[in-house]
Formats: sequence, structure tokens, C-alpha cells
Amino acid sequence: MTVAAPPAREGARQQRALSRGWWTAAILVLIPVAIPPISLLWQVLSRGSGVMLPADRLFELFLNTLLLTAAVTITALAIGTATAWITTRTTIRFRRGWMILAALPLVIPSYVAALTIIGATGPGGMFARVLGVQIPTPYGFVGAWLALAIFLAPMAHLIVTPGLQLIDPATEEAAVGLGSSRLKAFFTVTVPQLRPALVSAGLMVGLYTLSDFGAVSLLRFDTFTRAIFTLYQGQIDRRPAGTLSAILMAFAIVILIAERRTRGRAQYHKTRPQKERQQTDLSKGQRRLATGFLATIVTLSLVIPVGVLTYWLTRGLSAGQTILSIWPEIGRSLTVALVAATFAAAISIPVAMVTARQSSRLSGWAESAVWGTYALPNITVGVAVVGFALAWARPLYQTVYLLIAAYVVMFLAQSMSSTQDSIRRFNPYLEEASRGLGHGQISTLFRVTIPLIAPGLLAGAALVFIGVIKELPATLLLRPNEFETLAVRIWSATGEGFLTRASLSGIALIAVSIVPLFLVMTRELSD
Amino acid sequence: MKRLVSLLVAGALVLTACGSGSGDAEGPLVIYSGRSEELVQPLFDEFTEETGIEVQVRYAGSTELAATLLAEGDTTDADVFYAQDPASLGSVKDLMAELDDSTLDLVDERFRDVDGKWVGTSGRVRVFIHDADTTKALPQTIDDVVDNPDWVGDLGVAPTNGSFLAFVAAMVLERGEDATLDWLERLAAAQPTYFEGNSPIVAAVDAGEIGSGLVNHYYLLRLLDEGAGNGAENWFIPAGDVGTLVMPAGAGVLSASGRPDAAAQFVEFLLSDSAQDYFVNETNEFSLTGAATDPNLPSLDDINAPNIDLSRLADTLDIATRLVSEAGLV
Repeated sequence: MTVAAPPAREGARQQRALSRGWWTAAILVLIPVAIPPISLLWQVLSRGSGVMLPADRLFELFLNTLLLTAAVTITALAIGTATAWITTRTTIRFRRGWMILAALPLVIPSYVAALTIIGATGPGGMFARVLGVQIPTPYGFVGAWLALAIFLAPMAHLIVTPGLQLIDPATEEAAVGLGSSRLKAFFTVTVPQLRPALVSAGLMVGLYTLSDFGAVSLLRFDTFTRAIFTLYQGQIDRRPAGTLSAILMAFAIVILIAERRTRGRAQYHKTRPQKERQQTDLSKGQRRLATGFLATIVTLSLVIPVGVLTYWLTRGLSAGQTILSIWPEIGRSLTVALVAATFAAAISIPVAMVTARQSSRLSGWAESAVWGTYALPNITVGVAVVGFALAWARPLYQTVYLLIAAYVVMFLAQSMSSTQDSIRRFNPYLEEASRGLGHGQISTLFRVTIPLIAPGLLAGAALVFIGVIKELPATLLLRPNEFETLAVRIWSATGEGFLTRASLSGIALIAVSIVPLFLVMTRELSD
Repeated sequence: MKRLVSLLVAGALVLTACGSGSGDAEGPLVIYSGRSEELVQPLFDEFTEETGIEVQVRYAGSTELAATLLAEGDTTDADVFYAQDPASLGSVKDLMAELDDSTLDLVDERFRDVDGKWVGTSGRVRVFIHDADTTKALPQTIDDVVDNPDWVGDLGVAPTNGSFLAFVAAMVLERGEDATLDWLERLAAAQPTYFEGNSPIVAAVDAGEIGSGLVNHYYLLRLLDEGAGNGAENWFIPAGDVGTLVMPAGAGVLSASGRPDAAAQFVEFLLSDSAQDYFVNETNEFSLTGAATDPNLPSLDDINAPNIDLSRLADTLDIATRLVSEAGLV
């Protein structure tokens, strides 16, 4: 431990040593992250591709996937940014309440969302039966696009809100004062400053769209994920599904490379304490418009799905359906989600450190590995992990430890991204100051770095928690025997048409996910 | 950070508590069940109550479990494979031990493996479900379904669903590849509405959204239990072709099982009168031993089921998947 303030050269050497330490830790973390993609590629290369789909179908899948990903990303970002702006910047009533309500739909799994869309619409849907209004079920592109955009907008909302809170509204006010319109000021002044948050929200939403199966299969839009899921479900030969997954992963990597090429180099360190922010005053008409917009979004994304679940539950109970106790499932879901979220947050620190602080080819690869695994459909990760465990780690096979490890690598991107954001926002000189004052590296980590990035760690952990508690396909493959979670219960009940029981588990899943989300929102987003 | 560490420790403790007690030879009987927990868990509980043998069940899709068993090979912990369909059972035939003749003989030859590796335990029948108030002529053969202009644009199918694929695989056995592709192409030409599973088709017919669909018989009975379903009716196509295929769920014992006797006992239990009674009354299926009948359903003997060797279904399932894709149904 250095006692005196180190001279400049000593400082540089220390910086290098520090970075070596972070790199060692990061590589230790990245090895398990790389197992699913490597195991997948190995299986494809060593066992062949199986009977592949014809080229024209592949091309169609590719175009559909591209179209859906672009449409969902743009729409979800637009909605999420709008809700975030209205709930941080304006003087509407119940601002804080709306801020939380707009984030809540994130806890609804996409397969439940799609199921409730189908249950609400159509001639026999809830609207027709209860309100007498018939809305056609939006199958195909429109359905998948709307469902994913509406249910992923909260993800963007959650990431953009803290970003907005760090921007000084004075810059926007200045533009308005100089004669710019409010809308123009938003796009020319605020959006460029929001760019890092928008980029990470965009990646998270876009790559999630690539990997999600629920909405595309239930609403029948033919994408890579739907084809992969159908192959895994319907065919005993797993090779064709594996090959398609490898193609999908390549697609994700292309997106990542393109993103990195266009990424700005701008860095935004917060250099002075936040001033008292003033809210933008809206006219009465504007306030009504803003509230109406929020109410519409919350109705579509929260009121309707929960309404459909409640409708099914009451209809079934009054028809004499019995329900089984789901307390053990709630306990298991909470436990695995909590442990996975904590691990993901902890191990995101070294990866986020080396990727946020450096921009080298190596750090680029490290980041791509994490995002690449995130973009794989969960069922593919599950199959790859099963293959790996059977060959190399038989004692871990079908244990809860392997299940949690798989969750961590699947969702690490979410916590890494959130941790990166908070690392980028604090000035590295603070750490140097701490070491200059005689603290060692470990001491600096615990006394300076972690407290400074705690909001990012917590937000990332919450995202992982929600991701894990909703996760289904990999859970089915990797869980120990009889280890039923809420998501598994929903799956097993809906598959056989036990809507009453499925609704109960669905409502429980939403209820338990609200707690961590609420904690994060009130802690991080309260100004 | 302290909070993080204490959370981790607490979590690890809970997990150790959850994860203990599996795997050893004297542990519970391990059943891989492709049939849903909602359907069969009470039956497993009854088995334990009756025999004192503890069971541990892994629930997942039948195909998924078959693929899992193939990957696990001889190292599997599973003692029994209980699956939704003969194709999943047939694909892991090499990993299964022969069952006793006394067990096999409880069911008709049509519903068991030729080599005695698995036995059917309950049956589901393919039906043509239709709007209860329809005035259109109901199909007399499976070809009528796709050829009758009345039903063009008014039929629901679930081409990616396991039970539809099994039906197509059976058609390949009955008619050969070319004739099956021809039927599938005529189906595609009849502009069906595509669904993801049987339940949504039944719900859509019940709601009057579409006029008819190809499904298994028991989904309508399930919907009736849920407080809906009066708008639809099942029609058993009378021709004796693959349109009224009887698809058995079935079970077999893994040769890697450390407890073959208990495993065999379980398979036998599924064919006992009380289990057969359960299938008829609780899961709305057909008994394959004839021990029980549902007064609201025709008897299995009255249904003109086709004579198809279901042991070969596993061989044609991949062909079926390919043909469905070639015909442009997915």
C-alpha cells in the first residue's frame, strides 16, 4: 500500500496495475458467459446442421426479424422516452405515480401479454363478452409489433428516466428562450445529451426482441425466434434449431458492430452537484394531452392484461374450478431471481469497468460476448448449457446452481449496461483521489467506486430479477426435477387450457415482481 | 455491499435446502412426464399413497423430454418416461427396457409398441370441431375437410403443434409421403386460419370467430369445465381414416433405471382401473383397457379409428415436419 501521494509516473503504473486487476476479474466472468455461444457453435460444427429450411424461407425469416426488431425498437424508444420526459420534466398531477405505473408492465412476461391480448380481443374475447365491443385480434406483424413495443417501452422508460434526470433542463429552457419550439429544443438539445441512455435502451430492447418467443409465437409472426422455438418443440433432432440460433447470433453481432461503429465518443461526467431542477410548466391543454397519453399507455400495458387475468380467474372460480396452492412456487421464483440478480450485479462490475473505461478491440469483444449471449433465444442458451453440462459438468446438471448460472449469463447484459451507465457518469479522478489519500485498491473499490455506482447496480439487479422471474424456456430445460417456478406453472396450466390456474400464477408473478421494481423506482428515481 | 453479501449467503442457504435429496439409487422414482402437471399430478399422488413409493417428476414437453433423454443417454436419472404421444416414446426406444407381457396385454395391439418397449395408457381422438349451429354439411372423410368448398376459409389448424404433426406423421404411414403432401397442399389451398395450439382453435370456434377446426377431442370438454364452450361441438369423422386417429399417451421404463421393479409397477398402475377411471373422468380421455367409459362420448369401439402402426410414428415425424413446411403451412 502506498503511503505518500504517488508521483505522476507511479500513478500511471498504478493505473496499469489496476486495469490488469479489472481485466483478470472480467475475463474470469466472461468465460462462463462465452460457454453458451461456444457450446452452440461446437454442437453445430461437430454434428452438422441437420435438415435446414429452404433458402427462400430463411430469407423471409431474416426480413421479418429485421423489420420487427427495427419497428419495435423505434416505437418502444419513442413511447419510453415520452413517458420518461412527461414524468420527470412536467408539472402534471401525480407525476411520481405515473412514473412508477409506466414502468410496471415490464413485469408482465411477453407470453402472458400475448395471451391476454388474444383473450381480450376477437368475438369471444373479454371486450366482446363484458363490454359488447368487438376488436379483431391483431395477428401477424401488427400484433407482434404492438405487443412487444408496448411491453418493452417500460424498459426504455426505466433506462431513459435517470438519464433525463442528469441533464440540466436549463439547456433546453435556454433554447426555448432563444426562440426554438419546445419540440425542436427537445430534439436538438436534450436528445443528443440523452444519447448514451438511448443507445443502451435501444440495444436492450432490440436484442430482447430478437430473442423473445412469446409474442411472435402466440401472435403468429414468423421470425427466427418463432422458427427456432417451433423446431425445438416439435422436433427431436435439435441440430436445425441450433443452426438457426447460430445464424441469429451472427445477426445480433452484426447489429453490435454497427452500433459500435456509429457510437459517439462523447463522455458525460457529472462535475457539479445537481441544481434544484425546475419542472416545465405545461398549459392546461398540454397537461390534459400528456395525462391522456400516459393513461392510454397504462391502460394498454397494465389495466387490460391484469383485467383479462382477473376475468379468467373469476369466470373459472364461479364455474367451480379449483386452484392449487402456489406458495412454494412463489418462494422458488423469488429465491432464484434474487440470487441471480445479486450475482449478476456483482460480476457486472469488472466487465462494466473494462468496457466503460477503455475502448480497445479487446473491450469491444468482451462487450459483444455479453450482448451476444443476451441476444440468443433463452431456449437456445438452455440447450447449449445442457449440452455443456452433460459433457463437462455432469454433477451440476439439473441442479439449481447451474440454473442460476445460466440466468446470470443470459441476463448479464442488462446489469452490465446499467453499471456501465453509472460508471461513465462519475469521474475516475475520484478513485485516484482516494488512492492518493492512501487507500488501497480494494478499499477504494468498496469506499468510493461501489457507493458511486450503487444506483446502477441496483437498477441492473432489478432488471435481471424481473428477467429471471419471467424466464420460461431455459428454466424448463435446466431446473432440477420438481423445481416448479411461477413461470413453469403458467406454462403447464395454459398448455392444457387451465386458464383459472394460469391466471392465478400470472397475477402472483406480477405481484411479486412489483416489489423490487418499486424499491428501485422510489430509490433511484425520487429526485 | 454488505447487504449484497448477506443476500448471497442467505440465498445459498435456501438453495441448499431446496436442492438436497435427489439422485441416489434409493431416492424417489424419477418420472419424466411430457403430460402436464395440471393433468396428472393427482394420479402420481395416488400412486405414492397406494404403493408407498415416492416419486419425483420432471414436467416438460414430450418432444423436449425425448431430446433430453437422448442427450443424457445411459447417465439419465429417469426411471420412467411418460409421454403425450407415440413419436416421443418411439424416438427413445433404444434406451428403454421391454415391458412384461402381462402389462402389455392389458391394451389392444394398436396402442402399444411392437417390441413391447412402451404401452399406451389413455387415448385422445382427433376430431373436426365445428360451430354448434352450423348448417353446412359435416365432412365424411378427412379429404372432405379440405375439398368441400363450404369450409374454405372457415377452418382452423395449428400446423406447428405436436398433435397436428403427429396426425400428419400418421397420414404419412397411412398414405405415403406424396399423397400426404398432396393433402397438405389442398389444406393450404382451403385458406385455413393458423393457430398456435388446440385450445385457441377451440376457443375461436366456440366464440364463432371461425366455423371449424382440426383438434383433439378433449379440448372442448376442458373449455366446458372452464365455464365456456357451448358454442362448439365435436364431430368424429365417420370414414375410419386418419381423421379419427386415436393417439395414445403412453409410458415405458428406461433401461438405465436403478429401480426397474418400481418403474414397472408405475406403468402397471397407469393401466389399473382407478387410473383409467381418472383419465375418463378427470382428463376427459378414453380408457384403453375398457375399464371406464364416459356417457357423453362415443365408446372407443364405436369410433372408426384407422389401423396404423403407431410404433413407426417416430420415423415419420421428421418427414411430417418437413412436409408441413413444404406445403407452405408454416
